[in-house]
Amino acid sequence: MSLSLWTNVQTTSHLSLNFGYHRTMSHPHLPRRSFLASTVAGSLLLPGIVSQLLADSGDPLAPRQPHFPAKAKNVIFLFMTGGVSHVDTFDPKPELTKQHGKEIKANHPEIKDRPGYERIYLKRPQWEFQPHGQCGTEVSTLFPHIATCVDDIALIRSMHTSHSNHYNATLGMHTGSFNFSRPSIGSWITYGLGTLNRNLPGFVVIAPAQTYAGTQVYASDFLPGAHQGTLVVPGAEPIANVRPRVPLDQQQLELAALQEINAEHFAARQDDAQLLARLQTFETAFGMQMAVPDAFDFATETAETLNSYGLAADQKSGFGWQCLAARRLIERGVRFVELIDVGSSNNWDAHGDMMTHVPLAKNVDQPIAALIKDLKARGLFDETLIVWTTEFGRTPFNNTADAPGREHHPWAFSSWLAGAGVKGGTVHGSTDEIGLWTADKPVHVRDFHATILHLMGFDHHRLAYRHAGLDFRLTGVEPAHVVQEILA
Amino acid sequence: MFSNDHVLRVMLRLLLCGWAVSSSATVLAIDEPAAPVITDSDRDFFEKQVRPLLVRRCFECHGGNKAEGGLSLASANGWAKGGDSGPAIVPGNPHESLLIKAVHHRSLEMPPSDRGGKLPAEEIEVFEKWVALGAPDPRTGTEVLGGMTREEALKWWAFQPLPEIPTATLASDVQHIDDLLQREIDRHELEVAPRADKRTLLRRVTYGLTGLPPSPTEVNSFLEDDSSEAWARIIDRLLASPHYGEHWGRRWLDVVRYADTAGENTDRPLPHAWRYRNWVIESLQNDLPFDQFIRLQLAGDLLVQQEQGPARADGIIATGYLAIARRFGHDIDKDMYLTYEDVIDNVGKNFLGLSLGCARCHDHKYDPISAEDYYALYGIFASTKFSYPGCEPFGQPRDLMPLLSTAETETLMQPWREKVAAIEAEKLQRAAVAESARQTVASLWTEHKQELFAATIAEGSSVGFEKTVQVRRGEVLVLTVLPNGNHGADSTQVEWTIQETSGTVPSWRVTDTVPNLLQGNPWTTPREAVWSFLEVTAGPTFLNERRDNLSGRGELKAWSIGSEPSVFVNSAPEPISVWTSLPAQSFFVHPGHERPVAITWTSPMDGELLLTGRVTDAHPAGGLDGVSCQLAHVAAPEFGLALAALGNATSGLPDPGPPPTIPVAYAVMDQTGKNAKLQERGDPELEKAEVPRRWLSIFGGQEVASDSGSGRRELSNWVSQHPLAARVMVNRIWEWHFGNGLVRSANDFGARGQSPTHPELLDFLAVRFVQSGYSIKAMQRLILQTQAYQRASSAVASAAVATADAASSAAATADAENRWLAHFNRRRLTAEELRDSLLTVSAKLDRTRGQEHPFPPTESWTYTQHGPFNAVYETDRRSVYLMVQRQRRHPFLALFDGADPNASTPSRQTTTVPTQALYFLNDPFFHEQAARLANRLLSTSGESNQATELARIEALWQGLFQRAPSASEIARTQGFITAYPGNATEKWTAQVRVLLASNEFVFVD
Repeated sequence: MSLSLWTNVQTTSHLSLNFGYHRTMSHPHLPRRSFLASTVAGSLLLPGIVSQLLADSGDPLAPRQPHFPAKAKNVIFLFMTGGVSHVDTFDPKPELTKQHGKEIKANHPEIKDRPGYERIYLKRPQWEFQPHGQCGTEVSTLFPHIATCVDDIALIRSMHTSHSNHYNATLGMHTGSFNFSRPSIGSWITYGLGTLNRNLPGFVVIAPAQTYAGTQVYASDFLPGAHQGTLVVPGAEPIANVRPRVPLDQQQLELAALQEINAEHFAARQDDAQLLARLQTFETAFGMQMAVPDAFDFATETAETLNSYGLAADQKSGFGWQCLAARRLIERGVRFVELIDVGSSNNWDAHGDMMTHVPLAKNVDQPIAALIKDLKARGLFDETLIVWTTEFGRTPFNNTADAPGREHHPWAFSSWLAGAGVKGGTVHGSTDEIGLWTADKPVHVRDFHATILHLMGFDHHRLAYRHAGLDFRLTGVEPAHVVQEILA
Repeated sequence: MFSNDHVLRVMLRLLLCGWAVSSSATVLAIDEPAAPVITDSDRDFFEKQVRPLLVRRCFECHGGNKAEGGLSLASANGWAKGGDSGPAIVPGNPHESLLIKAVHHRSLEMPPSDRGGKLPAEEIEVFEKWVALGAPDPRTGTEVLGGMTREEALKWWAFQPLPEIPTATLASDVQHIDDLLQREIDRHELEVAPRADKRTLLRRVTYGLTGLPPSPTEVNSFLEDDSSEAWARIIDRLLASPHYGEHWGRRWLDVVRYADTAGENTDRPLPHAWRYRNWVIESLQNDLPFDQFIRLQLAGDLLVQQEQGPARADGIIATGYLAIARRFGHDIDKDMYLTYEDVIDNVGKNFLGLSLGCARCHDHKYDPISAEDYYALYGIFASTKFSYPGCEPFGQPRDLMPLLSTAETETLMQPWREKVAAIEAEKLQRAAVAESARQTVASLWTEHKQELFAATIAEGSSVGFEKTVQVRRGEVLVLTVLPNGNHGADSTQVEWTIQETSGTVPSWRVTDTVPNLLQGNPWTTPREAVWSFLEVTAGPTFLNERRDNLSGRGELKAWSIGSEPSVFVNSAPEPISVWTSLPAQSFFVHPGHERPVAITWTSPMDGELLLTGRVTDAHPAGGLDGVSCQLAHVAAPEFGLALAALGNATSGLPDPGPPPTIPVAYAVMDQTGKNAKLQERGDPELEKAEVPRRWLSIFGGQEVASDSGSGRRELSNWVSQHPLAARVMVNRIWEWHFGNGLVRSANDFGARGQSPTHPELLDFLAVRFVQSGYSIKAMQRLILQTQAYQRASSAVASAAVATADAASSAAATADAENRWLAHFNRRRLTAEELRDSLLTVSAKLDRTRGQEHPFPPTESWTYTQHGPFNAVYETDRRSVYLMVQRQRRHPFLALFDGADPNASTPSRQTTTVPTQALYFLNDPFFHEQAARLANRLLSTSGESNQATELARIEALWQGLFQRAPSASEIARTQGFITAYPGNATEKWTAQVRVLLASNEFVFVD
């Protein structure tokens, strides 16, 4: 074997791997199998069984068809940590203003046996509401930019959940389970659909800090590990170990040598698909070293785009950065992107003062509106489902009417959907006149999940996984219903 | 006369007949005719087609006793009796049968739309055919227990008593296992793989028993040992290795979902859980009989009540198994019902292979476990006190279990208590003396103190003084530092020299006390003069607390009352910068808020003295008002003596030191036994009838004796003596060596689990396990000697080369899952094995046993749901000692499919994802280990030349792969070294990385 093999890996003999970086890498559809064919062509491996091996390798992220055709190909899941007050944002309650200071009774989990909360009083919203768009949906002045997008949004004002602790409610909103670890909704989606770009993970979570329940909110749990969310922390190295530690040309030498030794090892073990599958991951990893920084390098974005997201030229963090990164990931075929706005502290949990909603709303408002408009401009809006939610709402009452904050409220809150398959400009369900209980068409977290799965082409009953002798589903065993009224 | 062997074979043949039936009927194990008689083909049709449909499509609502609309489809009796709408089936008449109408969505709509809606046509046909056949249903009996009738459950294969099999020699047992396997291999017309080569075998068994690679020396000695005993000797050596317990302990820790944090909202650390982890490791190392291993984990505290010393401690520590159950929520006591579920779920899966946790909200849908059974066990655990890890509203741990008996605690505490008592006695004695001295001192101080000098010192400035004074022996000079109006305390440097005007005697300086301030207060000089350090707010009081370490600096020592007032010194030869800069070898006074401090000097003689000195505010800060000072003379010769008496009586009492630490465990203890009430739908606020604490109904339902506490002692016997315990464990041992169990659902031996591939073998192993006294190591000696364990790991293609293509495919697909074990299963290293192997080859592995983790002290915990505990602790010890967190997975363990710390992990998954490849490309730890190995290689092989290069290549291949490199591998490596840029270290480090990332290193054949 001549030494030229080592110095000229790009032109390659039949045994070398495809470790050159391709311009095509940013394209969603990569010719994955040609690599394997080239790996084994002419080797000791008999070509007849290659396809068999590839089928057996059971690549958990290979693209798959859902149960029925669906417009949505990708999801951007926007999670506002801490509990956004519905009556101050998306659910106008003039009656609450009128009845400000009135004492009410409620068997509420957050005030039960709590000293100082023996008596409770209604507390008026602190922000004005205005109708917006063609549809006239009312949004408060906390979200002036999102308000301009209401014609694209299906707003659900009748959300409710099963727990009033952050930990449990956050876990529930992500996994359908309010106590135990279960696969995240992002994991279920990549389990069902696979992913389109193997140079990037299928499920990416961009968060400046961990939210409640830690890594469980994006864990694959009993689903195969390939479906776990990959955490991206805005900053220097967004994904662990993605930065090459030796120059790429040297790394190519190493990978070529690795390929040689693995090929010889494989020659004597040709019935084992997992060995081949592992070879394949090195090619993908090599590509990720370029594809990941490329996805997070905004140099090619115009000043106009950056401006629309509220980004300075070389800004590397903030929710605007997260939103633009989400668009770039979706463009590159990432199946599910979750953006968490802040961590488990200094968030929307406004016990002390509702005014803390102001900077948090400002942080997300313009970027979210920019994201919707940007996706529309690029024709991606019709194949991307955007989900905006929080873990629960906030009480329309407090122990004095003048208390500046609000408490956790699982009985009612607002969430919205937009994009592929969603009927924009709709408002679904309602709360009672003071925003205490859901009134018309309540939507539990389970129903919300069933609807998201439906929009992605899945019957939530059938998207199941057998584990420990039981069939597990995102929506669990209680009845769950797709919210038909908001489907386009 | 028959030989034992012959008897055995006859018995086996008999057994075989029983199983031949069950292999076609996948659910019912024993072929006992039930009334009405059902033909074999009807039974087969029911088991293969009808029962799975009922289970999958109907049981969610119509399984068990309490079924929707009153209709249970869990027994023949159930559908015959029917529900609110009458009998569900008219045998032989599909058109009249409600069930058939319902699945057609005619009168009723079943399954309803929110449960998946109408069935596919082919499934409806199955129901129609079944009813038309007369609805043959072997599920006779009327009492429904969870998802089965009692009759049916009593026949369930996994619940049967173990057969009686006479003992035999190890060799014949080994042969018997191979015979049983061969029978299936022949039946499926497979060809067995040849024996693996010795190097492969050694690597396989060394990882299998210790989780580490064999050393080159171990390889060589095995290769050279041609005796027939060589293999058995290797097994014995590895079973005795101290690393055996660590590897097999880790496997058990997987099953019990071990973690070092509690898992509630703040994920509090469990600083004592490691004792349970290490107990597991030592128990496996010492081959503690498995039945006792079970008993101790469930009730060790109760079984060691009469013991002392380590045996007692071990029994308590073992119940850490129960204590490490996950905690839930914000105020964890409110969610203990979930913790009990976690316990019951784990006890069921772990020891019995039963999903008991499923019966919390309703009867089990498939297995014969009722909700009553669940609450019968619930009462046992609810009568048990669990150590408390703390949580957000109640921050610190409590109810940790002391590991010493009362007598042992007494022995440990006695010397310390005696010391305390002696000091207390002395205090009392001194108090009397002090009282009379205090009166004398107070009156002399008021009557005879004459001011010599006074000054106010502005913030940050200093004042000097120089005075002459006539004194008598016993009279006292006083330098007082006073706080000013707006601020109480300031560090004030004092320099003070006292010398005879006649000049014959050397002078005294206050800084004489600096090297040894803490020798006493009063502080006697070698020349009889005495310094004292006093607080003088309302008459002189001695500063009586010794402090030998201010701001963490041992050179800063003080006498004080509380943190101030104080006097302190910097005894270091250089300035120390703390709250302010303290010059070398200096003396300070720090008055308290409105509490002046005085330094006194008692004269040893009569004469005229010159007093010189300087008082400096040494800690200037803006807006403050400095200090004041006063120099005075107490002109009464008896004052010095009285002051000394007061000082000796009140200051410098010896310190008894902190009490000895009593070791504690995170464990459980018994409380008064109390039955639980059934909770409707698992909701603790919907309590129904009380359920007696008892064993599972299907296993006899024996109740806990009324006077026996929680009932854990009885439970530990019921569980450990049940045949399921032996079956489940031998299946795990098999799986952990062969890669798959004989039952492939290791945690589920119930109706939803898989049937054993080799039922007779499973029972044979279980019998031998029990006969060996539940010795795990004996079981390993047995199964590791089989030919099956020693086969090569590639399937054999038996056809001729010309048709190799088709034949290879055939071999690969004939038994794609390798159920019949014609060859061995290749596997990837587990996360722990991978990390430990990297540390081994880099010679960085610390082989000592790990102990506790470096958690912050419990007093300092303020974790909240908004700021939960989060840490990763580095260690060079084996990976079993890594700190495992519940809410945040350890990044390395998560990447390589480590165990789930929140749920029992019977089998590790093996996922293959690109982020793992990124680890091999760029991870700093990986790069570091490669560099270490390369450096070791270079430093031990001398100057680079062709010979040393060859030696290096040889050493690498032997060290990493336990074999010599081939000629082409040598050539390729030489080529790589030549082509790769950089110096020798860089070249060889790159080569090492390649080898460490290779499939050969990462997989075990």
